[in-house]
Amino acid sequence: MNGMRAAGALALGAVLLFLLGPFVVIALAGLSAGETLAFPPQGLSLRWVIAVFGMENFRASFWLSLQLGIGSTLLALLLGVPAAYGLARYKVPGREAIRTVLIAPLIVPGIIVGLALLRHAVIPLDLGVTWALTLAHTVLVVPYAVRVVTASLDNLRTDVEEAAVMLGATRLQSFFRIVLPNIRSGIIAAFILGFVTSFNQVPVSLFLTGPGITTLPIDMLTSMEFVYDPSIAALSALMALLSIAIVAVAERALGLSRYV
Amino acid sequence: MAPQQFGAGRAVFDDRRIGMALAAPAALFVALAFILPVAVLLSGGFQGVDGWTLARFAEFAEEPLYREVFWRTVKLGALVTLTSAVLGYATALAIVDAGPTWKGRWSGLVMLPLMISPVARTYAWIVLLGRTGFVNQVITGLGLSAEPLRLLFTETAVFIGLVQLFLPLMVLSLVSALENLPADVVPAARVLGARWPTVFFRVLLPLSREGLVIGGTLVFTGSVTAYITPAVLGGSKVLMLETLLYQRVSVASDFASASVIALILIVMSVVTHALLKRASSARKR
Amino acid sequence: MSDPFLNLEQLSLGYGASLAVPSLDLAMAEGELLALLGPSGCGKTTTMRAIAGLLAPRSGRITLAGRDITRVSANQREVGLVFQSYALFPHLSVFENVAFGLRLRRVAADEMQRRADEAIAMVGLAGFERRLPRELSGGQQQRVALARSVVVRPRLLLLDEPLSNLDARLRLEMRSELQRLQRDLGVTMMYVTHDQSEALALADRVVVMREGRIAQQGSPVDIYERPRTAFVARFVGFENVFAATLPGRLQPWLDGQPGLAWRPRGVVLGQGPHDGKVLGASYLGESVEVLLQTDAGPLKAQVAPDGPRCVAGENLKFDLPMSSAVALES
Repeated sequence: MNGMRAAGALALGAVLLFLLGPFVVIALAGLSAGETLAFPPQGLSLRWVIAVFGMENFRASFWLSLQLGIGSTLLALLLGVPAAYGLARYKVPGREAIRTVLIAPLIVPGIIVGLALLRHAVIPLDLGVTWALTLAHTVLVVPYAVRVVTASLDNLRTDVEEAAVMLGATRLQSFFRIVLPNIRSGIIAAFILGFVTSFNQVPVSLFLTGPGITTLPIDMLTSMEFVYDPSIAALSALMALLSIAIVAVAERALGLSRYV
Repeated sequence: MAPQQFGAGRAVFDDRRIGMALAAPAALFVALAFILPVAVLLSGGFQGVDGWTLARFAEFAEEPLYREVFWRTVKLGALVTLTSAVLGYATALAIVDAGPTWKGRWSGLVMLPLMISPVARTYAWIVLLGRTGFVNQVITGLGLSAEPLRLLFTETAVFIGLVQLFLPLMVLSLVSALENLPADVVPAARVLGARWPTVFFRVLLPLSREGLVIGGTLVFTGSVTAYITPAVLGGSKVLMLETLLYQRVSVASDFASASVIALILIVMSVVTHALLKRASSARKR
Repeated sequence: MSDPFLNLEQLSLGYGASLAVPSLDLAMAEGELLALLGPSGCGKTTTMRAIAGLLAPRSGRITLAGRDITRVSANQREVGLVFQSYALFPHLSVFENVAFGLRLRRVAADEMQRRADEAIAMVGLAGFERRLPRELSGGQQQRVALARSVVVRPRLLLLDEPLSNLDARLRLEMRSELQRLQRDLGVTMMYVTHDQSEALALADRVVVMREGRIAQQGSPVDIYERPRTAFVARFVGFENVFAATLPGRLQPWLDGQPGLAWRPRGVVLGQGPHDGKVLGASYLGESVEVLLQTDAGPLKAQVAPDGPRCVAGENLKFDLPMSSAVALES
């Protein structure tokens, strides 16, 4: 058994190196003191990390990605939470079909969604770039909102709502005073999941970004082709750290993995 | 006053109208902002000069470049899935074997990459595989080759990038499946005299089959519908279906081909997701 | 009953296609403690939910304190319901749970504090105000559920299987608690149970239900000593039911026919006109339970442990004295 154990440990180590190594590489490359992108880096320094904050284009696209992430996730929750509640608690005809519709955006590759929206919604309706992106990202996040909130609701018994009604609550009061507080961590989990999904999203936004208006990941993607300094590496490292931090906090506070 | 008659008995949550009203905005939104545009886009693949036709598909199949891209996508998808399965099992077994505290930590570490943007994860390979990248430095430094090798913009590069991207999904799926095995199955087999290969193929593999299917479909779908990794590591030399689609639209405004490719991608995605649903609902039973 | 406090008239209840209760007439006096007794599926819970307003009837009328509440929504009926699972609000403290109804009614802060504290003290949970439901035992949770429903002064209090989730000792405790509460507050109470001893011990009046209909109703003594049908008789412990053809040969009882019933205690073993064969005997400590096979079916007897020993396979004579028999209509 010990031979197998050792082999297993070796495999685990190798795989973890493979999975996490590139992140370390990118982080180190971003901390390079040199002028060009290189690994191993020629000396360590924070200059590029600091420089990135000063780059106007990245600041703009970061800002857009942030607003997009928050906006589309809030919209998705506004749509998704009532929908999840309605479908979980009421005997709606065609319930499974509606659920499938709401989850459908997960199955279709993002690039198709982006193209379809561009040709058959954005152009005919002459929508601005930000509206188009918001629309696309909201569509993408709704399934997460619905799924996570549904899981939360399944854990809450219906007799608690009935008890509230028997004590004099209207259904609205019962929802806001009893249901909402008890699915609060589910909603927060959905928000974080949605935000991270939107923030890191590329394919959906590809066709919908416009001149001067682009999301951070796409900005990085296009910059990759002609930027040879460590700025993108630094930015990648920062973004990665941000994602990890958000998820780590969420896991600590809410047990995020319960909802995924 | 005589007792009255009304409709069929209703309980507190039977008022379907309220349920429908609550679900309507989201359903309508998804229907109008997603299903409708996508449906219209897909129908473009069937449009001919005089209406409905399958000619677009025929044209697509005839173009050697497109065929090459299609098969490359499927091939890479399969290779990535296979590699993930092998590496995944080794990793998952090691994780499941570890004590309860470490199991959570290893799983967390494996899950970590999933939280990071694919752009960041893929970019690292540029740093590593470029002409002046780390790997080439090692290779030329060790004298294994006089010239730096062209590692980027090859199928190998895309392959490596995809494996790195999707392996965690396979590992997590397998860990979940292996954890749900009855605890004494392996010791029982060993007591009966089985050696490790037998234990694996005859006991572990069949029992964790559903986890393998779930992980496999996630990895396959992901690989086949990937954009960022093929775009960054493959460029226009190693096109996959999604990068091809992007190219056809942005460079040639060839929406007919785009619709055909979209349809192919959706069919592959839907089929694998249907398989996934069957496998996971079988498990719930 | 003239001018009943609660009146159910020709109530017809069902879910979807099935009709759980075809047509129910039931009246309750103010201040009464009524038990709805019956096996699962008999319609007792359905009836209670209809009274609560959680289930709309297909037809019929419900009147409470002179007011027709048939179409009134559950939150406006002034009816309280203590759920079998207690259904405490998990995110609220004991105090907040109890004060919930008062908050909804916008009761002034100091009055709310007073009444909630009073209710909490009344159920013996003073000092527990800050605790959360998950920190409470089952019995404590139930008391909170009680306090919560009672503090808003409902006209009628419904309890769904109030004692079934408790262990034996707690059950006895809660039984007297409920009785005391009802007496002190004078609240009209109806509860639903499948346990005959609970029903008999607590209620002023017992309503036995079967398949959506009332099989018999009356005082606990009435039900226990004078069941009118085989179903009710068996429910309260008359396990031996035979056709009403005595004296003479023992005949099996047929559904719908009049019959005679005996408790196991009422069977005399060792002497008598009838023959039986012992199938088995179980020592129960205070008594011995003997199972006999007769021409008219199985017979269960309960005798003192110091009586004649009964061995399996043995032939035994027995008697069913009319003095311990109960006559059944059907």
